[in-house]
Amino acid sequence: MAEASIQPLTVTLKVNGRDYTVTVEPRWTLADVLRHQLGLTGTHVGCEQGVCGACTVLVDGEPARSCLMFAVQMEGHEIVTIEGLTPEAGLSPLQEAFHRHHALQCGFCTPGMLVTATALLNQGKPLTEETVREALSGNLCRCTGYQFIVDAVMDAQGGK
Amino acid sequence: MKPAPFGWIRAHSVAEAVAALREHPEAKVIAGGQSLVPLLNFRLSRPSHLVDINPLETSLNQVEWSGSALTLGALVRHQRLAEHPVVRERVPVLSRAASHIGHWAIRVRGTLGGSISHADPAAELPAAMVALNAVLVAQSADGTREIPASEFFQGYYTTALQADELLTAVRIPAPEGRWGFAEVARRLGDFALAGAFVQRGSRVAVTWFGVAGAPVRVELTEVPADAREREVAWRQALTTAVGSDLEVAKVAQAVAVAEKAWSEAQ
Amino acid sequence: MQQAMRPQMMGARVSRVEDQRLLTAQARFMDDIQVPGMLEIAFVRSPHAAAEIVSIDTSRAAQVPGVHKVMTFDDCPYWLWMRGVFKVGQPALAHGEVYYVGQPVVAVVAENRYIAEDAAELVEVVYRPKEPVLDMREAIAERPRRVHPEAENVFFHREYQTPGFEEAFAQAPHHLSETFSLSRQTAVTLEPRGTAAMVDPATGRLTVYASTQAPHRVRLDLATFMDIPETQIRVITPEVGGGFGMKAATYPEDVVVVQAARTLRRPVKWISDRMESLLSDVHGRDDIHDVEVAFDDTGKIIAIRDHLMADGGAFIPVPFSGAVGETSLAAMVLTGPYDIPHLAYTIDCTFSNKTPLGAYRGVWGPVASFIQEGIVDRVARYLKMDPAEVRRRNMIRDEQFPYKNAAGMVYDRGSYLESFERALDMIGYADFRARQKALRQQGRYLGIGISCFVEPSAMASSEAGSVGYESCSLRMEPSGRVIAALGLGPTGQGHETTMAQLIADQIGVKLEDVIVLHGDTDSAPMGGGTGGSRSATIGGGAALVAGRQLREKLAQVAAHLLEAAPEDIVLEDGKAWVSGVPERSLAIRDIARAAYLDVKRMPGGMPVGLEVTARYLPPRPITFSNGCHIAEVEVDIRTGVARVTRYVVVNDCGRLINPTIVEGQILGGVAQGVGSAILERLHYDENGQLTTTTLLDYLLPEATDVPRVQMAHIETPSESEGGIKGMGEGSLIASPAAIAGAIADALEPFGGLVDRLPVQPSDVLAMVGRAAS
Ligand SMILES: Cc1cc2nc3c(=O)[nH]c(=O)nc-3n(C[C@H](O)[C@H](O)[C@H](O)COP(=O)(O)OP(=O)(O)OC[C@H]3O[C@@H](n4cnc5c(N)ncnc54)[C@H](O)[C@@H]3O)c2cc1C
Ligand code: FES
Ligand code: FES
Repeated sequence: MAEASIQPLTVTLKVNGRDYTVTVEPRWTLADVLRHQLGLTGTHVGCEQGVCGACTVLVDGEPARSCLMFAVQMEGHEIVTIEGLTPEAGLSPLQEAFHRHHALQCGFCTPGMLVTATALLNQGKPLTEETVREALSGNLCRCTGYQFIVDAVMDAQGGK
Repeated sequence: MKPAPFGWIRAHSVAEAVAALREHPEAKVIAGGQSLVPLLNFRLSRPSHLVDINPLETSLNQVEWSGSALTLGALVRHQRLAEHPVVRERVPVLSRAASHIGHWAIRVRGTLGGSISHADPAAELPAAMVALNAVLVAQSADGTREIPASEFFQGYYTTALQADELLTAVRIPAPEGRWGFAEVARRLGDFALAGAFVQRGSRVAVTWFGVAGAPVRVELTEVPADAREREVAWRQALTTAVGSDLEVAKVAQAVAVAEKAWSEAQ
Repeated sequence: MQQAMRPQMMGARVSRVEDQRLLTAQARFMDDIQVPGMLEIAFVRSPHAAAEIVSIDTSRAAQVPGVHKVMTFDDCPYWLWMRGVFKVGQPALAHGEVYYVGQPVVAVVAENRYIAEDAAELVEVVYRPKEPVLDMREAIAERPRRVHPEAENVFFHREYQTPGFEEAFAQAPHHLSETFSLSRQTAVTLEPRGTAAMVDPATGRLTVYASTQAPHRVRLDLATFMDIPETQIRVITPEVGGGFGMKAATYPEDVVVVQAARTLRRPVKWISDRMESLLSDVHGRDDIHDVEVAFDDTGKIIAIRDHLMADGGAFIPVPFSGAVGETSLAAMVLTGPYDIPHLAYTIDCTFSNKTPLGAYRGVWGPVASFIQEGIVDRVARYLKMDPAEVRRRNMIRDEQFPYKNAAGMVYDRGSYLESFERALDMIGYADFRARQKALRQQGRYLGIGISCFVEPSAMASSEAGSVGYESCSLRMEPSGRVIAALGLGPTGQGHETTMAQLIADQIGVKLEDVIVLHGDTDSAPMGGGTGGSRSATIGGGAALVAGRQLREKLAQVAAHLLEAAPEDIVLEDGKAWVSGVPERSLAIRDIARAAYLDVKRMPGGMPVGLEVTARYLPPRPITFSNGCHIAEVEVDIRTGVARVTRYVVVNDCGRLINPTIVEGQILGGVAQGVGSAILERLHYDENGQLTTTTLLDYLLPEATDVPRVQMAHIETPSESEGGIKGMGEGSLIASPAAIAGAIADALEPFGGLVDRLPVQPSDVLAMVGRAAS
């Protein structure tokens, strides 16, 4: 019989290649634990409903909503956040492209955009404006109108 | 917007999962969490426990073609359904429909079993099950039973599944004839305003979603060759099935998607 | 002086200095502010549109482990109220009665948000519901009752008429009338609102972190409403994830957070969740216009009459009433870029039991454009003329500038006809009609919509709720680097880059040597914040004036050290030299050294140090930008879904500081315009419940909803410093009208016209259906 627990559980999360052992309540979302327990505040929360995409992280290489997962579920999975996509010094080629193309204004959607765009680029498929827009359609941005984000992603693919 | 407290049960086997459901009548299964967690966050759902079946991923994500039927595990994620070569070859309309669900990050997590059990009236996969005449396999502490899709969906978010049952798999018989799928939504990835599967074979059938509390399947004995007459036929089929108090816009959209799915099934 | 004449940075496509921290997750947004011992708040909000509060029982909530305090009005007895201007103010927490769904009633302060929400569920409030006031026209007639017994429902009324209006109107050969309306919409910044407050144990001063566009305004309001000396409050804005006018207000929650921190002597934070944001962020739009227009056979418009109505919601947000803004300011630009001699209007702003109406990007502009372009299109259709030709005939001509419109507004010189013709060219207007005709044969319905706009920016009067000036203090440090502090509150507009560009040009240092501070009332001099498209013109003006003053100081010192006259000193590339004698030069950092560390080398009588503070008030009360948007749409008449397929913008905002940043503003506004025109709608049901409280109901445009936008610039300088005009709102002012016009054009075979935004699939299907039957 599986053990039921309403009490906090201790889990080990692998985030950005590092193991973190944390004690969490089952109801704490991955987004909240990343931000408030691990101090990885680059993952943003904009709706807690799966719509806005600001909280997108990579789980085993694929984009997923950290507001719709619980930290207790994540043992044995590899999580990558925007912090993990950022080189120790300077910017990644994708971040560079965002900078060059003015693909961010307030920057709140940016981490989620970068995460989704990274997953897209990692697929190594040829991109068209249409496929890029489709892949990013689950990441809302209220500032940029998307055009420069699309340009940046397409340019980053060229640069890869 | 934070969930109320709940207990956490990690299921390591189907037996464990169904035992937990039996023991905790207020428990809920969590699969992809893409429908359940928003409800938890809004505190619209307050289960005593969550039974996490994700640890069963390896045993519940089969995609198997037997020669006469396709069997899919409950934990097959939408994205995999959309991309899997066997699904694309044997039941292409299903992978097309799956690619219309939400956005990439939602499809990566959301599961076939979750979508079917959740039974959103505007969801693609429940309608696909009805259209494709699927058989749904449910398991509880008492054993396994098979439920035809036509009897499974009973209304808004209501299914034939008992609270202590786990949906483990679906079996789709080899589809006969040519198939089309179409939907209309406000934005890419939104739940459909209306959608339709159309089968053109020895018989013609249209299965709508987004027009009533559950998917609606109608068989047509005759489908006119003339587009205008066909439109009338779709409209009649719809009214026969769901009555005449649908909003005008809804009727127009349902007719439009049926027609589009029909022409795709050429 | 010379170098101001040949700026190197102004006009350059400089990449933003803000980006590094935002791209690498180093930026600190509101919810990233975390200090030891911090508590979090969850609010209990009104579930009723209107009700008396019979009782509030907080005892069970207070007993939840981890709860520190449960606050009601008695614990926070303050009002957000512009006393003397309006008869009604809003209590920080409901006092005896609730007036809209989502109004904060009780605040629970707990260890974390999860616990706070657990306890909030246990607060028991007994309400006695009242009949809500929900319909604008009914409310104006005081039906079914007054929202606030102590005040008439109409809290703002104004009438105006040009001399000779009635005669001109009556004598015109043709008349049309129409009722236009815009649904409630709201900004939906991707980062929700939030506030944190903490008492500094050493000084007793309050530090308030606020996700706001106007830090000084928040400080002033907190000081006024809570009776705290403003010197005791420091407002800091962390990174702000979007504002769009919505974050220019001071909110009840801000007051509650500060009060909780003061009473508990613990750091306290509140972060809005998305449902709270849709319920309680100020809403925008919600206007009805009863319009009549008079015109002649040639399409020349002679007179417009409009009854402008806006539903202001339950209270008046501080410091800006959206309803008054939407109407009284819209009335000033109802004639847009057209030379329409006669105007008469009546304005009524009413209370209702809905969320307070405040600012959303463009405020008055989107509605004015929607109406003015809607009028032109109706005139064209009535006379069976080309809508472009009707625009051409009515457009203000170059020789008419400075032009005074029928409402008395004076427009800056602009490129009205030029931008219009250029946009027609870019979209290929000449070929469009043939394409449209051919595709209609195949059952595809394309349409084109033109929106020529004026953008009122940089209000130098206080009606916009902000002060009319902006300030900039510049301090050159001994290293020769410069710290600039402005009262702005940027939310993504890139002021750290653009202001540095302006200042670097003035004093001849490198861009990276100018560090721009903002959003901290301790570092920046009193200023108006960012809003109303004021920052480039007014903030930029302040930066230019301060830069010039600092340059004069530098030149004075340099002249003394180089034994030349100050007017012969050139400052450029980090050096000062004597004009025409480049070898007589000196590094700017050496001047700074002298001014601070070697002060005996300073000219006699000159104060030590290199520091200036300047304030700038533009010469005109409003600076007008202009331009033209053209949208092409395709409407699926079977499903009712409209898609924007092509889009061009010609924009004239005077001298460009940074074209890339301007283009970013345009693109963002066009996307919001797509939302305004076809997606976004806040909907109240007949009980006054907001039914659109999630982002699956309130639909924001996605990447796939927005077309690629082709842009061009024209630069007609303003009379302000640097020739700059504001441009933060123009793209959302123009775009809904362009898209609405395009949909109407697409549906022309069905007699379709758009009188209501957003246009929903059911609206399209209704139009098509009506034509069929
Ligand atoms: C932004 C967004 C957009 C979306 N758009 C669409 C869309 O366009 N179309 C669409 O169809 N869906 C859409 N969805 C929902 C998505 O498809 C979900 O994945 C799906 O509805 C539920 O699957 P899940 O695995 O996530 O289930 P969960 O959320 O884990 O569970 C849903 C319900 O099913 C029960 N359940 C799950 N698995 C089982 C099982 N094996 N046996 C018994 N009960 C079970 C749970 O107890 C719960 O009650 C969207 C979701 C989001 C967040
Ligand atoms: S916060 Fe997770 S999708 Fe919006
Ligand atoms: S840059 Fe502000 S939301 Fe995308």
